[in-house]
Amino acid sequence: MKDSIITAQAKKRELWILLACFVVANITNWVAIIRFSAPWYEVFTQIGYVVVTTLVIYALMAILRIAFKVYKLITRK
Amino acid sequence: MNRKEFLSDCGKMGMAGVALSLFPWLESCSEKAKQEVQGEKVQIGIIGTGSRGLFHIKHLVQMPNVEVVALCDNYRPHLEDAAQYYPEAKLYDDYRRMLENKDVKGVIIATPLYLHAPMTIAAMEAGKAVFCEKSMAYTMDEALEVYNCRKELGGVLFIGQQRLFDPKYVKAMQMIHEGVIGEVVGVRNYWYRNNNWRREVPSPELERHINWRLYSEYSRGLMTELACHQLQNGSWAMGQLPKQVMGAGSLIHWDKEDERDVYDNVCAIFTYPNGVNMTFESIISNKHFGMGEQILGTKGTIDLVTAMHYTDEPAPKGSGMHQLIEQIESGVMSNSVFAGTSWAAESSALAPGMPIMQNVKVVSGESSVGAEADGSKELLEAFLHAVVTGKQPEKVLEESYYATQFALLADKAMHENAILTLDEKYKVPYTPF
Repeated sequence: MKDSIITAQAKKRELWILLACFVVANITNWVAIIRFSAPWYEVFTQIGYVVVTTLVIYALMAILRIAFKVYKLITRK
Repeated sequence: MNRKEFLSDCGKMGMAGVALSLFPWLESCSEKAKQEVQGEKVQIGIIGTGSRGLFHIKHLVQMPNVEVVALCDNYRPHLEDAAQYYPEAKLYDDYRRMLENKDVKGVIIATPLYLHAPMTIAAMEAGKAVFCEKSMAYTMDEALEVYNCRKELGGVLFIGQQRLFDPKYVKAMQMIHEGVIGEVVGVRNYWYRNNNWRREVPSPELERHINWRLYSEYSRGLMTELACHQLQNGSWAMGQLPKQVMGAGSLIHWDKEDERDVYDNVCAIFTYPNGVNMTFESIISNKHFGMGEQILGTKGTIDLVTAMHYTDEPAPKGSGMHQLIEQIESGVMSNSVFAGTSWAAESSALAPGMPIMQNVKVVSGESSVGAEADGSKELLEAFLHAVVTGKQPEKVLEESYYATQFALLADKAMHENAILTLDEKYKVPYTPF
């Protein structure tokens, strides 16, 4: 079995994507607060929901990216 | 539950001060009252040692401060059953002879209804403290006679309205008086059983002697044997007495099997001066709903039997994020609807509710003898305390008196098919809570 190498560029890209997911999850929380007239302190108290949402979005994006790569591999052949 | 446990429960409920000021008869359950009678032994006699009398005896044998010195019953097998618990007690078959016994300081009367008033009056005239089972009397005139007799002679008179001493009722009524369920707008009572209400009879000539509850010559049936307990809820919750009563009763099932002549199906509506109605319904040929007593308020409902509080206020919503997820979820998971119900009942009946206290023992109401943890033991302890001190607790008699009068008035309304009000001559001073 060969060693896998994750480049610094790949790590940086994944961190940027995760950060983007976190921002999107926070925006979703703000939308929910406005929409349901909830108190603004939920920006902090609902951080658990935000983190879970971040991971869910990141996982969904990972699935999409893998599917896109598989598609590209198939079409290249 | 003994007095110590009851007091402990009261303490946990934060009732110590508040409940005692609201419900003064609970004074006899206080620590101070306990110390007042410490070391005292109470000599009592029991008239009527059938099922209910025996139920009391089973509580009394657990109490170290009581000595049963006399037992009386004109049915020998019952007397012998009771004597097994107190072999030293003197046995009587005539209550008048027992009342002559100077050792007897207090008497417990657990006889058929038609004997309650004459026995209670005779016992009070003999200078005894009296605990008589409910209802207070067989007729409205007799109930008044008993009340006036106690007023004239003084002394102690308790009637077996044990809910007044049941911690879950006390807690619930405290919450109601504090406005937890808002303004009281209705009181619902029901008691359903599915049994013939009969006791086994060893020989036919004893039928009426043993099954006295089934014959109007001795009892007023469901109104005096069951309703009397529940009718107290309305006045206790609202601090006022009904202004009128109407009702309907009939024999619909059990009369096909025996010669009974008291109703086996009754329904009564009591209307209070403020317009609020209290209902009582009892059927003894269907037991699906069992026993229920509910106080309905503008902000919620308290079920006295199960000690549960149901609020009508909207349930607190979750966080914004939570609501958003729920909305997305219901959008994804719900079916497309082309047609459906155009309305939904505004009901909070399916809401889970909150227990008003812990470790509540729910009484099904199925037993016609009595149930554990229904306040009977605490009532008995309060009576024994009163025998020693000679002090009549406030309101106990008035509450019992009116419960009896309104049970009898409702029975009358059913028989006359009329809307009735309590005659002025039966009104005695009543202090609202």
